[in-house]
Amino acid sequence: MDRTRTLFVVILGVTAVTILGIFLFRPKPDPVVGLVGSEKIPFFQDERVQEALRRNGLDVTVHKAGSREIATEFNLDEYDFVFPAGVPAAQKIQQETGVSTSYNPFFTPMAIASWKPIADLFVQQGIARDEGGYYLLDMEKLLPLLQNEVRWNELQGNTTFPVNQSILIRSTDVRKSNSAAMYLGLMSYVANDNNIIQTMNDAQPYMSFLSDLFLRQGLLASSSQEPFEDYLVQGMGHSPIVMIYEAQFIAQAALDNGTILPEMVLMYPSPTIFTKHILIPFSEGGEKLGQVLETDPELQKLAIEYGLRNSNLAEFRQFTADHNIALPDTIVNVIEPPSYEVLEGIIQAIEQIYQQQGG
Amino acid sequence: MSSKRYFPFFLLLITFSLILLLIPGCSLVSGAETMTVLAGSELKDIEPLLDQIEKETGVRLQFEYIGTLDGAEKLLSGAEYDLAWFSHGKYLTLLQGGRGLVVTQEKTMLSPVIMGIKESKAREFGWVDNPNVTWQDIADKASSGELRYAMTNPAASNSGFTALIGVATALTGSSDAINAGDVNVPALQAFFKGQALTAGSSGWLAENYVSAEDDLDGLINYESVLLSLNESGDLREDLVLIYPKEGIITADYPLMLLNAEKQEQYDTLITYLRSPEFQEEMMRTTLRRPVVPGIQLDGRIPNPLLVELPFPNSVDIIDSLLFSYLDEQRVPAHAIFVLDVSGSMEGNGITDLKTAMNNLTGLDSSLTGRFARFREREMITVIAFSDYVQTVQVFTIDDANSQGEAMQEVRTFVNRLDADGGTAIYTALTEAYRLAQEAQQQDPDRYYSIVLMSDGENTDGLSPRDFQRYYEGLPAEARNIRTFTVLFGNADEDTMTDIADLTGGRVFDSTEESLSLIFKQIRGYQ
Repeated sequence: MDRTRTLFVVILGVTAVTILGIFLFRPKPDPVVGLVGSEKIPFFQDERVQEALRRNGLDVTVHKAGSREIATEFNLDEYDFVFPAGVPAAQKIQQETGVSTSYNPFFTPMAIASWKPIADLFVQQGIARDEGGYYLLDMEKLLPLLQNEVRWNELQGNTTFPVNQSILIRSTDVRKSNSAAMYLGLMSYVANDNNIIQTMNDAQPYMSFLSDLFLRQGLLASSSQEPFEDYLVQGMGHSPIVMIYEAQFIAQAALDNGTILPEMVLMYPSPTIFTKHILIPFSEGGEKLGQVLETDPELQKLAIEYGLRNSNLAEFRQFTADHNIALPDTIVNVIEPPSYEVLEGIIQAIEQIYQQQGG
Repeated sequence: MSSKRYFPFFLLLITFSLILLLIPGCSLVSGAETMTVLAGSELKDIEPLLDQIEKETGVRLQFEYIGTLDGAEKLLSGAEYDLAWFSHGKYLTLLQGGRGLVVTQEKTMLSPVIMGIKESKAREFGWVDNPNVTWQDIADKASSGELRYAMTNPAASNSGFTALIGVATALTGSSDAINAGDVNVPALQAFFKGQALTAGSSGWLAENYVSAEDDLDGLINYESVLLSLNESGDLREDLVLIYPKEGIITADYPLMLLNAEKQEQYDTLITYLRSPEFQEEMMRTTLRRPVVPGIQLDGRIPNPLLVELPFPNSVDIIDSLLFSYLDEQRVPAHAIFVLDVSGSMEGNGITDLKTAMNNLTGLDSSLTGRFARFREREMITVIAFSDYVQTVQVFTIDDANSQGEAMQEVRTFVNRLDADGGTAIYTALTEAYRLAQEAQQQDPDRYYSIVLMSDGENTDGLSPRDFQRYYEGLPAEARNIRTFTVLFGNADEDTMTDIADLTGGRVFDSTEESLSLIFKQIRGYQ
């Protein structure tokens, strides 16, 4: 063999070994494992999100959990962080674990996924207002229909959806999921003559009404992804009005894949209530993730692609306009949920009613 | 250049490949991982897709089929499976309470439980393309005797279970989730007056609808099963699918992870099962509906407004509904047990038989035992035979309490049985049909069926031909009484199969499983 050839082989060999070495021993991002509300699973599974996290030195794995189940049904020692939806669910976990740190990288208002014929029917009944592409649903006017257990076919002049079923907003299980707890918070305010319920005593007169909102629906899902998926797949007869996070609808519409049909519409309860997504860290990795989600511009932008709102309103406006999603870019009539203690008290009272029924 | 010059490259290439093979996650040669699945028999039609699932996910699913309550009982008693896959998981989810058996679950496909009615009948009733037909209308036709249908036993099979919950909810008139106090027993009695064929399995029911088509006007089953029947070419008359106006309950086939250590494999599996590729293939081959958005519905699946009825939120409510079905709503049963007490049964055989019968008097307090036991209003005839019919006794269960007089009487009678003599299968069976026909004439509003348990060959009495001639000479209603045969010990499989085939029954094999378990399963067919 001549020298050049030998040299060539040696160089090639060294290069190969080096590449292999880099491949095998490059600094690995920290593995971080967390429990998150089902609505945020697609965000974390997005390759771009994973890449942005890796760039920040984080290798994040998430498991699905009902936001309110996190504190009770899981062994939290196995996780670096939890990321429930909703302040009350987060407060519950903080109380159980004694962890006071938390991050609030994004929020989303509660909305109602519905159908054009239903929305128009509500407009005709004077319960909703067409805002040009989306609707505002007057909760004060909806209230008596729920209280009196009115059925769809009992609405005057209803020829579009004459179904013999109670008008009920489909929701998740209030004992397990945040979106239902938000719905409960909202209805407690409306039932209490548009006042936040301050004590359990104040709640007493409305307990039967509030628990019926859930009990009459029968068995309910524990996470918010399911009712929204049912809405997308099983149609108007299955899911005429569904309590969802606005983000779920936006994210689906932004896929531009025809899964949001032309007759699917978004209604905003008026008043509505915000769900804040709160990350609670149990390790350094968890803390780092919280910081990164709050501050990294790329991750903030990607969150908007999942329909979530954050401080970057301009980007949110641009994104929804790009995908022709009609919605209010600022929401005026927003209430606060009852305090953690009161909301928890009402939920526990409802739980007892479930138990009396053998559930 | 000579080939020698390339040698170092080859060496490097080989080294590289070897290293790549050793890095976990990079394995180019991985064997499929097997996951055990406890599944409802309604999932059998997924079997042709298992190879494809394995190819795409590296997971081989190994099915073991079981009924609804049997399955729930098995899992609650600690049986270890990686996955459970039934047409719905709601009962198990409720039943597990805080025990956390199910780690996670995701829906995999959809099919509503509805009614299929023969086209001529549907036309006669004005139900073709009529969106206003209600469960109440069906109850009215059933109660007047104009509509005879097949439906599985709700305590044994998921399609019947789902149907009962839907019908009971619809017939409360409220449309909200049903509570124990809401059950409208008279309306349900009217509805179930039309249930002319029951069964412990949706698959068997569908098969037997084909052979009993002349005697029936329709059946309740999954939409996918009804559509498949129409496509099969086995029916003389097409079924018109009825989606009652009050609403229906849709089976959603959740894949449930039981073994937390297999979370990763589960995630891979569920991602593939919910991919458009699998969903479309599944829809094409099984006629179930896709569960993920954005997939065009197969043109063969009708697309009416599907109103969903609420599912009860408590085990107590469901249990009380099932008990009410068995004790009050359904046509009361008259079950005839033809039991072999020939000499060969001596020892363990007769003991097992006594235990199996005793269990049905309420001594088996397990979940399945509570539903399988003799029920209120039921009549039981026991025929014990050896080389002749030794004894015949009729019991009326007017008190279903396990310590009540009726149950005590059954036990006393059964416990006195002695094993002795030859085996006169056909003589005993002929006697059973004679008694059944007589009872049927006096009391036509009962559901008659025969269980024949034997551990040997026919040695005495009538021949197969004698019996066949007798059976074929019976009036049509009596010929509709099916015989469910139980293979026990050294039973003659051919004889038992022939009898089941002739009478439209089914063979149960108790050579591997305990007689108690088999008797419980057969209760689903009575």
